[in-house]
Amino acid sequence: MKFLPVTIDLEIPNDIDKLYDYAKRVLANILEHVELDVSQQQRIKLILVELVTNSIKHTSDPNTQLQLIIDHPHLSIQKMEKGLQIQFSASSPQIPFENIDHILKISFSQENKHQIQPLDQYRFRFLNPFKDEGLSIDHMPEHFGLYIITLASDSFIYQYDPQLKENRYIVNIDL
Amino acid sequence: MDITKQNINDVLLITIEDKDANLSKSEHFKEQVLNEITLGARKLIVSFERVEYIDSSFLGAMVAILKNLLPQDGKLVLIELNSDINNLFELTRLDKIFDLKDSLETALKEF
Repeated sequence: MKFLPVTIDLEIPNDIDKLYDYAKRVLANILEHVELDVSQQQRIKLILVELVTNSIKHTSDPNTQLQLIIDHPHLSIQKMEKGLQIQFSASSPQIPFENIDHILKISFSQENKHQIQPLDQYRFRFLNPFKDEGLSIDHMPEHFGLYIITLASDSFIYQYDPQLKENRYIVNIDL
Repeated sequence: MDITKQNINDVLLITIEDKDANLSKSEHFKEQVLNEITLGARKLIVSFERVEYIDSSFLGAMVAILKNLLPQDGKLVLIELNSDINNLFELTRLDKIFDLKDSLETALKEF
């Protein structure tokens, strides 16, 4: 293990078909600093693919950036993009949250529902989507991006800075 | 998306020829398979032998295909998933929903 922490700033690719090679290169970069088992490596690749795919699908900011903070015992993968805050469907509680004491149910569409724990008015953590639900194809979502990041990480936090108009997705992995 | 199709008795084997099964191809793939179902296919095997990874969009397409097929008394078996793809199915617990098999030979025994 080399000197930690190490912070690495990365551009993200805009060609979706180069994304997996990008994820493998970033992983190789991380492995220069810390040892990871196969499961951790698989989870990191999934997180990188889904964070970048989310940006390609939903973001107009051409300067979206990724930042890796490699430390021990945590690795943090953070994505920053400028623009409006994350938008939920009209029936969901919105940022800034009025009630931060309870778990909230939010959705982006009928097929894309989540439970979140507000941490403050502009910050929340995604919760395990399958914790309390049985498995049924009828209730299976068809949008898995945020689920995958939540399940592959040890914590997945979103925060919005209204002054800077900056969205930050913070994914933490225990090493 | 680049696929090949082969009929084995009354089972349709669809082999994905692209190594990236991602956002840029998921909708087209879904349309291709749903079209086969519309034409009458009910016993389907999808081979991932040549696929390096799949993303959330492609996973969503697979779920949409299964949701379409099951009410029509259809069956779908997925074969030859590499370790990364298997891991994704396990992580999302879709390994409990989909029928995953190692080989074509094993999959054909399911029908």
